[in-house]
Amino acid sequence: MQSYWFGDAGDGRCQAADGNPVALAQRLETLQTTMDGFIPLRWEDAIACGICSDRAGYLSLLREVCFIRAEQRIREEYAGKDTELLQMVRTLDEMDEVINLLSERVAEWHQVRHPTFSRKYRRTPAHIQIRRISEKGRGALGKVAVQVEQLSAARTDLAKEVSLRATRVLPNTSALIGGLVAARLMAHAGGLLPLSRLPASAIQVLGARTALFSHLRTKSPPPKHGIIFQHRRVHNAPKDLRGKVARVLAGKLAIAARLDYYRGVAVPEFLDRAQERIDRIGGTES
Amino acid sequence: MIRIGDVLVSRGEGGVYGERMLGGARVWDPFRSKLAALYYAGTGIELAPEMKVLYLGAANGTTVSHVADYVEVVYAVEFAPRPMQDLLEVARRRDNIVPLMADASRPEQYAPVMEAVDLLYQDVAQPDQAKILIRNCVFLKPDGKVILMLKTRSVDIRKSPDEVFRETIERLAAFGLEVIESTWLSPYHKDHAAIVCKKHSKGVA
Repeated sequence: MQSYWFGDAGDGRCQAADGNPVALAQRLETLQTTMDGFIPLRWEDAIACGICSDRAGYLSLLREVCFIRAEQRIREEYAGKDTELLQMVRTLDEMDEVINLLSERVAEWHQVRHPTFSRKYRRTPAHIQIRRISEKGRGALGKVAVQVEQLSAARTDLAKEVSLRATRVLPNTSALIGGLVAARLMAHAGGLLPLSRLPASAIQVLGARTALFSHLRTKSPPPKHGIIFQHRRVHNAPKDLRGKVARVLAGKLAIAARLDYYRGVAVPEFLDRAQERIDRIGGTES
Repeated sequence: MIRIGDVLVSRGEGGVYGERMLGGARVWDPFRSKLAALYYAGTGIELAPEMKVLYLGAANGTTVSHVADYVEVVYAVEFAPRPMQDLLEVARRRDNIVPLMADASRPEQYAPVMEAVDLLYQDVAQPDQAKILIRNCVFLKPDGKVILMLKTRSVDIRKSPDEVFRETIERLAAFGLEVIESTWLSPYHKDHAAIVCKKHSKGVA
């Protein structure tokens, strides 16, 4: 006897399951199948089981069950608390790109209108300059500058939300490297579960794809760090120590991600020891 | 396969993904679908109305919808939730698509709904495509056929596409499949190859 979606069948005998589609979808979820010696079902057995009367009825019931099951599975996948954070991080990164691009363009445009204007030797940060353009710029230029400003404001809000949510979804990782960077790591890995399954060496170079593959393909040196470069311990470290800092940090992050996935709460005893280990590199040990 | 002039088409309800229509039939674009590319670049397997197909890596259901126009039933397996949402929408309007949200490398997840199929079609972006294919051969009828779309760049980026292509063919042959056609899908898809196999009628594991 082999268990199928409609019941247990084999050797010309058949034991029907509850024929209600929802119950059948439930059954599909719980069935444990081993592939050793598995025999594909004969749909005629479903008739013998009394679950349907012909091929069309068979397919229509099977489809109904599979739709219920698939919709359930999609809901389960999305229910994870990391899915929305994923979208938020990606939106944030794309907004950064758009804002930079448009700011550059608006500044260039402004420069053409004011032949004597130059950005050289000015201390004004880009966003202040955009604000001035949005106040003074006539016509479309002013309007675009206003939009860039508003986008920047939305971006700031979003960044705060990402950071806040990351401390809930990734408490340990966030504690080590900050909410924003932790969220970026997770987004690059494709979610919390995939991140928790990555080896430390992969986390270390997450986000350095181009450099990594050019290393694998040619003889260029391997990348020392990817996204984790954004952590101050890495980019503030002297150049000859950066690789080491990145490696140790990635090692601790790999553990943190696993704690985040399997426990979901901050683990102070781990965090203290990890922080201490990371802090030690730049100082005494080197 | 149905061709109008030299344009590959399938007959069914249009508007699935904004495909062009030609004489009331849906144009099956080789640049969008790897299976269509196989019918242009090589021979492939003739799809017939009584066929049952197991389709691994169904994605958004674009190619699935064309296959469903030709055959009796398509068991469409897709793993990721985002494309699955689209696949469900396609399957809702075609009563011969059975949507399965499962991992193609773990056939036990969908084995309880599987009947024996005439054609096993695989188009997944996974490193071990050959292994996934071999695991799924259990669903194949004794005289069943296999089409494997090999994304050589997903298998191993360090090896040359030719190397990956050759090694995969060797592995399938070692398993007991008879390779009847193998072709690159250029100019339609870069670094993609199609391998068409036959299960030996004596029956393999």
